[in-house]
Amino acid sequence: MSAVLHVLVVGILLGGIYALVSIGLNLIFGVIRVVNFAHGELVMLGMYGVFLAYSQLGLEPYLGAVLVVPALFLFGLIVQRLIIEPLQSESMMQMFATFALLTILQNVVLAITRGEGYSVPTKMGALGLELGDIRITATRLIILVAVTLIAVLLHFFLHRTLTGKSIRAVTQDRQAARLMGINVERTFMVTFGIGAALAGLAGALMAPIYTLSPGIGGNFILAAFAVVVLGGLGSVAGAYFGGMIVGIVEAFAGYYIDPELKQAIWFLIFLAVLVVRPTGLFGQVGAEEIGFREQS
Amino acid sequence: MKIPSSVKSTFAALMMLGASLGVSLGASLMTGSALAQTPLRIGAINPYSGPLALYGDELARGYQIAIDERNAAGGVLGRKIELVRGDATNPQQGIAAVDQLATREKVEIFVGTYVSAIANAGSDAAQRHDKLWWDTNALAVELTERKLPNFVRAGPYAVNFADVGVRAIAEMIAPALGKQPRDVTVWIEHEDSIYGKSIVDAQKADFEKRGIKVLGTGAHNFRAADLTDVVLRAKRANPDVWVQVGYVIDGNLMLRTAREQGYKPPAMLWVGTGDTFETLDALGADYLEGLHVVSYPRPDISEKYAGGGSTYLANYRKTYNREPIAPQSFAAYAGMKILLDAVQAAGGTEPAKVRAAAAAMDKPFGSYPAGFGVKFDDKFQNTRAFPTVIQWQSGKQVTVFPVAARNAGITLKNVPRKQ
Repeated sequence: MSAVLHVLVVGILLGGIYALVSIGLNLIFGVIRVVNFAHGELVMLGMYGVFLAYSQLGLEPYLGAVLVVPALFLFGLIVQRLIIEPLQSESMMQMFATFALLTILQNVVLAITRGEGYSVPTKMGALGLELGDIRITATRLIILVAVTLIAVLLHFFLHRTLTGKSIRAVTQDRQAARLMGINVERTFMVTFGIGAALAGLAGALMAPIYTLSPGIGGNFILAAFAVVVLGGLGSVAGAYFGGMIVGIVEAFAGYYIDPELKQAIWFLIFLAVLVVRPTGLFGQVGAEEIGFREQS
Repeated sequence: MKIPSSVKSTFAALMMLGASLGVSLGASLMTGSALAQTPLRIGAINPYSGPLALYGDELARGYQIAIDERNAAGGVLGRKIELVRGDATNPQQGIAAVDQLATREKVEIFVGTYVSAIANAGSDAAQRHDKLWWDTNALAVELTERKLPNFVRAGPYAVNFADVGVRAIAEMIAPALGKQPRDVTVWIEHEDSIYGKSIVDAQKADFEKRGIKVLGTGAHNFRAADLTDVVLRAKRANPDVWVQVGYVIDGNLMLRTAREQGYKPPAMLWVGTGDTFETLDALGADYLEGLHVVSYPRPDISEKYAGGGSTYLANYRKTYNREPIAPQSFAAYAGMKILLDAVQAAGGTEPAKVRAAAAAMDKPFGSYPAGFGVKFDDKFQNTRAFPTVIQWQSGKQVTVFPVAARNAGITLKNVPRKQ
């Protein structure tokens, strides 16, 4: 029984990581309808950003995040304005453009670092909770707490603020939103900015756990796409609980069945959900189509 | 006196023959002279871009140091040697790089690489150009099994890595744990590509021969976002020695996760990676204390066991103004030295000639840097090139196995593991 509880805790903590990476991706995917292949690279930039803050300014990664998140927000605005927006009526081209961005970002970082693996130390690494056999490290707990807070705050932002409401309106029907006087392009820019900032935050908080490499974003992106589709397009709750489901399934499958098969098992669940409920667990029925109305 | 026309024509024919012999002799002499002035170009196929570039560059540094030393001593066959880089991050690029270097750059011999899949495709392409492929760092068993007529592997391969790891457990770690080898239990974890599997298959056979009990084997994707399940499975099995075959990123994540989960196996043996500054940066000296790593020999290897380490280290520091990034370059350096000796003995660069010269070489262990000797088997695998085992001690990689390769005063630390 204690082993089951232990694996459950491991799964929830892993779910926090997946949810954190997925929330920004879901926002971009759900609102702008861009399959952002470069999202993992935005996470990677967040990691290298806190490494830079640590190596140049001596900042702890959690303090480095204060610099990294606004920087990624600005970067997101620029990407949306200069790359995504000019291709607004070409959804396939937008997808290819994000793929090009992925390659560029990876290669630029590679050229700078020559592929050397970096680590970002933190005093938090030595802290944690111990409940019998169960160990919860501070680094992973911080991610879980952060993603929970972000999910709640993002929910209120989307439901209580004018900008949030405009984002939801554009998610539901961008043509109708435009007719209601919403500046769709500005909403897209803000959304991409927020999505990139959340990716940067994910990178900053995960940097103490991993060895940094230019391709590290790819380690999370497959799971993140699965979480987005599983949870539901544009749904904050979907990204949060989708991440938890994938994390828990992966932990149990890896421990009790075989680590080699864990991805295959959660992809089976992913397929089953797609067949039974194509909008995902928390997605609005029809949302996967209506966002394209203006484009078609 | 009138000369008969038949004599005239015979004389004319002799004159023409003489002239043509003179021309061809002159041409031949010119060719020989020109050849002596033409540098011998060796193509180094490696990933020099992309995520694998770090060690690709490192191998090329090892080659270059060996070439610089040889050039300073007059070159080979009276010719200076030039290293020409061919960037290959995957097998397709490996083929393209070989084609380009063979045709445009007039490369005569190819060397490479630490990525077995690239070595596989690249050597095949080199064969089509009738060029030798001299491998120094690829590990896959299959490379020599193909019996390609242009392929030679001068460095150790997967089976050697497996053998040395198992021997280290039986002959060094078991006594340190106060156990007989047959009483030692191991858990093997490996990344799930051909690299990890080929080493682990050989390890399992070796463990069985020595009566060492394998409690279980686990496989993981080296890009996995989480390895807690892997660590918990090993912890549940409770082995004496936790063996891991993988890359830097997954190896580091596994050690971090083991630390987080409070998993302290009595001994840990990593194979292939875990002996560079990247692991030291990730884990710190305290946690790494006592970790064993099977890898290419390091320059700190005892000079009695294998000379050349200090020369290599001095030249590396002088040329690149830094410490070596990884021991792969030391093996590449040794492999290039063996190649140049084989070419000199062959008197040319044709694959058949160099292979014949290589086959005739019979150099005992320790004849070359890294402790390598030379004796090729019928598949042109060098049977006298082995990896060594280091142990992390106070943040430094210290060669501990074979025992003869240790420097004076070196002993094992933190076995069984206390922290």
